[in-house]
Amino acid sequence: MAENGAILHRRDPIKSSVGNVAAHRRRQHAVTVGKERRESLVRAKRLCRVGTSGEGDGEGEAPLESGMIIEEEQSILEAQTSSAVEELKAAVSNQGKGALQKRVATLRELRRILSRSEFPPIETALRAGAISVLVQCLSFGSPDEQLLEAAWCLTNIAAGKPEETKALLPALPLLILHLGEKSSLSVAEQCAWALGNVAGEGEELRNVLLSQGVLQPLARMMLPNKGSTVRTAAWALSNLIKGPDPRAATELIKVDGVLDAIIRHLKKADDDLATEVAWVAVYLSALSNVATGLLVKSDVLQLLSERLATSSSLQLLIPVLRSLGNLVAGDLHTSCAVLVPGQEITDKVIEVLAKCLKSEHRVLKKEAAWVLSNIAAGSIEHKQLIYSSEAVPLLLRLLSTAPFDIRKEVAYVLGNLCVAPTGSDGKPNLILEHLVSLVGRGCLSGFIDLVRSADIEAARLGLQFMELVLRGMPNGEGPKLVEHEDGIDAMERFQFHENEDLRNMANGLVDKYFGEEYGLDE
Amino acid sequence: MMVKDPSQPSRLPLKYCDQCPFFTDSVKTKAKANTEAISNSVAMDVEETQLELGFPCWIPVRRRFDPDSPFFASGNIERELLAKQVALDLTEDEKHYLRNFVDEDFRGVFCSIVGCDARLTSLEDFEDHYNARHTASCSVCSRVYPTSRLLSIHISEAHDSFFQAKVARGYEMYQCLVEGCSLKFKTYKSRHQHLVDKHKFPSSFEFFKKAHPSKKQRQKQQRKQSINKKADASSMEVENEAIDDLVSAVSKLSTSDSPSSISFGRRHTRGLTFVPRAVQRDKRPDST
Repeated sequence: MAENGAILHRRDPIKSSVGNVAAHRRRQHAVTVGKERRESLVRAKRLCRVGTSGEGDGEGEAPLESGMIIEEEQSILEAQTSSAVEELKAAVSNQGKGALQKRVATLRELRRILSRSEFPPIETALRAGAISVLVQCLSFGSPDEQLLEAAWCLTNIAAGKPEETKALLPALPLLILHLGEKSSLSVAEQCAWALGNVAGEGEELRNVLLSQGVLQPLARMMLPNKGSTVRTAAWALSNLIKGPDPRAATELIKVDGVLDAIIRHLKKADDDLATEVAWVAVYLSALSNVATGLLVKSDVLQLLSERLATSSSLQLLIPVLRSLGNLVAGDLHTSCAVLVPGQEITDKVIEVLAKCLKSEHRVLKKEAAWVLSNIAAGSIEHKQLIYSSEAVPLLLRLLSTAPFDIRKEVAYVLGNLCVAPTGSDGKPNLILEHLVSLVGRGCLSGFIDLVRSADIEAARLGLQFMELVLRGMPNGEGPKLVEHEDGIDAMERFQFHENEDLRNMANGLVDKYFGEEYGLDE
Repeated sequence: MMVKDPSQPSRLPLKYCDQCPFFTDSVKTKAKANTEAISNSVAMDVEETQLELGFPCWIPVRRRFDPDSPFFASGNIERELLAKQVALDLTEDEKHYLRNFVDEDFRGVFCSIVGCDARLTSLEDFEDHYNARHTASCSVCSRVYPTSRLLSIHISEAHDSFFQAKVARGYEMYQCLVEGCSLKFKTYKSRHQHLVDKHKFPSSFEFFKKAHPSKKQRQKQQRKQSINKKADASSMEVENEAIDDLVSAVSKLSTSDSPSSISFGRRHTRGLTFVPRAVQRDKRPDST
């Protein structure tokens, strides 16, 4: 990972055309802004080291240090903090002409202290009464600079410990109101950032924000096509709706223009913005049935597939894949009406899922297998489609070589391929062709490995698949195959296992298929 | 269930109707799953399969996970780890932003609106600034609001005599400030209480702050001074005047929302004819 210092190398192509130092510093800040954003995409709270508009100080600000602050420096910092807050209080009560400049300068001083060190002296600031004076600085009609600096200070206070974030409570309504369409973009964005940090703290604060009407104005900020404001708003929204209460997600999708904006961004936005929007989609699709229904009926599945097919950014692929997975898992309509076998979209989806199986990234493999398992839980046609796709050879290989959590998901896919949907007689029938073929290609040992694992769920899967093999393989081959792969041994481990279900399952199989008569006719 | 003697084949039918074979990670099999867990995991049909042994045969079901399920944990961690790797490419935003700086030879442009000393560094910045500063300001007292809605609430409550008249007659005129909440109240205080009770605003929140006397005095002073001084509008609040004093109050109002007149001339008196507030409210300041 490159440190801040390495950023300086990037000055080369631009340096020559920029005459003055201030603009040069602003360029450095711009690069640092991007770095900071990428550095903290999902982290619930983000410290704001450089302003949203990239306006650093221009004058004489040293490059940001990422280093440690030693103890003496920390106490100096704390002293500076307290005095800055005191100065600010004085500046706020003055109304003279110079008072405005003084106010902004003091705010800036405080902001710098709060954004430069590794451990900003938030507690000191709070004890000195920073919040109430910062709230005063947020009053309507204050100059943009003042609003910006105040919101910035609040952002970084909110990025601290839980009790520090909670301290922002008195400031919340004003921060929300400054999201308004008439606010300057950088002010609105800085407020959104602060609110995003607050929302990231926990459910209680999220509920407070929602009851104060944060959703509408924040959602509106996500509608334009580009700009860092849109991205910050999307990030803050993802923190707001992440639940577990689904109401916020449902409320969001109902805001005018939001569905359209999500679709538009998934289609056209750059990777950074698309990533944040994809996370919004993740929560919408996981928590809100209304949202899922609306999303599925739009062409979002197509757009998600496109992204999976073309993007190489893992940060983007994860939420995109997960959104797809949530839509498939959450709504029957997805599998039944949209991903209909024979439709181009269906082929496309299976194709991109197979591509994810080939990825070197563990998460993509695991979650792609999960999605496939849900599709494979559908109709016979779905199973046939997957069975004949390039996914199966990949799955078989993964079953023997991949890490455990991936193997478990793969097991779900393969097992689902072998069992038909439960018919009207209540009995799940085997799809013999698939079972025979997959067993013939050597998947049984992978399942027996799962039986041997310590994970209850995995062991259960393994035993259930073994049951299919024992019951379904033609010509009574099943028991022989199982024995050959040391299946009896694996099952006998459960004889005295503490888990009663597994014990009963394993013993039941052994009794039925490897009872006293077994092996006698050989 | 009886403890089984390992040497005896199991003949007891094992009931699995209340146990879905497919638990989500969030519902481990350690705890006996109940039907509630099944509906939580949004499994499809959970059929009890009674074979001879009562073995819970494989049944394909859709599995759904909550966003905070441990199932997704590795994806979240992975993302965070990755997030700390820095790519040195500039994003479109940064390039866009840099272009603004690189293109300009001069230090920036001053906002053309009189009384505003903002310095902007690009056309976009200027548009943004203008939209923020000069279109949501109260034409009577120059207070600036972040949304049109708040501005119009302010105008009604602070400068509209009809509003005051209706309040005096007991109508519920004070709107809740939270967008989407359609409640209205008879008094400023009761609206405030609603904000605190229902929307968890801090009780220190004040929508309408009285202007400081010193600011008023300052402005009066400025108006008396030389022509070159750019004066802010006096902050007369009609709500402090009785309705009978309306005419005199109105005549004292300045019409400083039209900078074009001021920037042309350095006249002390505003050269514009008085425009009724009802019309002013809808009128945007002219841009020069």
